[in-house]
Amino acid sequence: MSVIEFAANGVVYSSIIVLGSIGLAIIYSIAGFANFAHGDTMTVGGYAAFIAFGAIGGLGTTVLALPVGFFVAVLVGIAVAAVVAIITEKIVYEPLDIGSIGLLITSIGVAFVYRALIQLGFGAGRNQFDIPAQRPIEELIAYGVRVTPHDLAIVISALVLVVGVHVLLQYTDLGRKMRAMADNPDLARASGIRTHRIKLWSWVLGAGLAGAGGAFLGLYNALTPRVGFSVLLVIFAAVILGGIGSVYGAMLGGFLIGMVVEMTPLLSRVGIPIGVDYGPAVAFVIMVVVLLVRPTGIAGDGTAGGEGI
Amino acid sequence: MTDRFDFGAYWSNLTNAEKRLTMALSVLVFGLVIALLTGALGASYFLFLFGLAGMYALLSLGLNSQWGFTGLINFSVAAFFGIGAYGAALMTGSNSPIAGGFNPIFGLAIGLVLAAIVAVAIGIPTLRLRADYLAIATLGLAEVLRLVLQNERQWTNGSAGIRGIPSFFDGWPLLGEFPQSMPGLEIAIVPGSPVVLGTPFWRQLLNVTLLLGFLGAAFLILRRAQRSPWGRLQRTIRADEDLAKALGKNTYSYKMQAFVLGSLIMALAGVFYAHLNLFVNPGDLDPITTFYVWVAVILGGSGSNRGALLGGFVVVAIREGSRFANDISWLPLDAAPLRLLMIGLLIILVMRFRPQGILPPQRELIWPSAIGREAPSRPDRGVPQSNGGETDE
Repeated sequence: MSVIEFAANGVVYSSIIVLGSIGLAIIYSIAGFANFAHGDTMTVGGYAAFIAFGAIGGLGTTVLALPVGFFVAVLVGIAVAAVVAIITEKIVYEPLDIGSIGLLITSIGVAFVYRALIQLGFGAGRNQFDIPAQRPIEELIAYGVRVTPHDLAIVISALVLVVGVHVLLQYTDLGRKMRAMADNPDLARASGIRTHRIKLWSWVLGAGLAGAGGAFLGLYNALTPRVGFSVLLVIFAAVILGGIGSVYGAMLGGFLIGMVVEMTPLLSRVGIPIGVDYGPAVAFVIMVVVLLVRPTGIAGDGTAGGEGI
Repeated sequence: MTDRFDFGAYWSNLTNAEKRLTMALSVLVFGLVIALLTGALGASYFLFLFGLAGMYALLSLGLNSQWGFTGLINFSVAAFFGIGAYGAALMTGSNSPIAGGFNPIFGLAIGLVLAAIVAVAIGIPTLRLRADYLAIATLGLAEVLRLVLQNERQWTNGSAGIRGIPSFFDGWPLLGEFPQSMPGLEIAIVPGSPVVLGTPFWRQLLNVTLLLGFLGAAFLILRRAQRSPWGRLQRTIRADEDLAKALGKNTYSYKMQAFVLGSLIMALAGVFYAHLNLFVNPGDLDPITTFYVWVAVILGGSGSNRGALLGGFVVVAIREGSRFANDISWLPLDAAPLRLLMIGLLIILVMRFRPQGILPPQRELIWPSAIGREAPSRPDRGVPQSNGGETDE
């Protein structure tokens, strides 16, 4: 495989990681804790899209070799992940009166409950969308790039969502309030922002993006109850690299870490015999090195407490 | 504590939680004795479970000395457990690719030395980090270690694991022959279903003895350490690290000491596991092992060594109890997700309703929140109850 081919795979994988990272960063900056259930929220979204696609099937025409029904299913995945997150916030996190570390530990319990319920419902095996696999696009093979129309669909959809998040944060009232709250919750509340409501919206946004990521993860590979948890550490690495709590940092970090994971096999060409299995490990070592050199990440503002979005 | 043991005074000195728990444990022990005598529970299987529970208790003690006392969020429990287990297995196992066939005492030594080295190696980059970064970083490094054990077949046999590990006392004079040389006993208390005590029973009894040795040593060392000025400083770091720094203490160095101490105890549990299970594979390092131990510690009460012991037993009750779900045929339930569900719910419920755990440390005023925030539940003693284990930074 050529370098450009590894890079193309990296872009596809990065698109999924970016969706997860943005959501994690939003939840971190508004709800105030490292949410270990984020990976399993992705799994929830992925399985919801899987059921929805099974119900509506190949609706309408096809776009990029995907039936329109698939995109509807992704929307269902987004909605279900958001609803599950809201319910969890209401039932589990909101009544808690403990600090961020207590919330972190609680979120591990939440992650286990999500995963256990999915495994009880669907078993531990693999589930795949009933969409025939595609051959790589002919026109691009000439340039040494082997990507399928499905890969292209993932990248474009992720791009649309990322731009949507940017517009939402910068040009809407909700986005302005979210940024204010991420910056300084007390000041935001004092200025009359209903911080409680903004927190719920941040769960909707963060979990919704995770749900989309989970659906694409299912299309990219296959769905298993562990699929979200297996990318959780990569997503954490991306978010920390970008500066925990920073959404634009998470976009950049997600892109870089996704590329690193997919391009790890190239290391063996420069004499470091490391296989593709070590992709997440390399991402992780990079994260630890970044933490040592610059504890606030690439886009972190260096202040200890209030990170801006 | 009075000089002469006075049961009445001791009993009235206990908190309500301790009284309820003592009664619940008494009922449980009574039930177990009945089950053992009637043959409903095999004696050697019971000892195996006891060994497993003690192993989790040992792991919990190790984590407790890091999280409960110094406030280090270590999510790499499984890694140190695995280092102990692999250290022992690689030295003694019959299909070890490196150096099989040594006396288990060498495995013990190698496991502990490796754990200390890795603890320092992981501690150097991570112990300076903020609490939540530390959690993520340690979990990640534990995964890196698991990936290495799984992929470096030439050293670890990869996912095939290492088998043929002898019992810890094999090859020792006297003790090595003990299980074979002890006579088989049949005790018929209930007619028709005698309790059989054969070689497996004696072997498990030996394992439990080893475990009690490890557990007792760890418990005593920790208690001694935590009552010393060193332990007081660790609690200060947990409560307010800046204060400890202001007092001129090198908190990084103290945190490293607590991290290494706890990791050594976890590795000890791993060594025991290798000789109990006689087989290790990379699956033993799955992150779920780490979270089992976390459940044990927060359930028992962060900072409480008694709580850690209790938590270890509860975890094994969940782990082994859920196996019986498979036997109930009319329930369409699978043991693995059921176990996960119970662990998850337990974490959420404990954090919601009793974040200080079932047996929080009672007689130490070690957390800033221990003073004044909550009315003492036993005003007659005039000492505010510690509501320790509160998990704010």
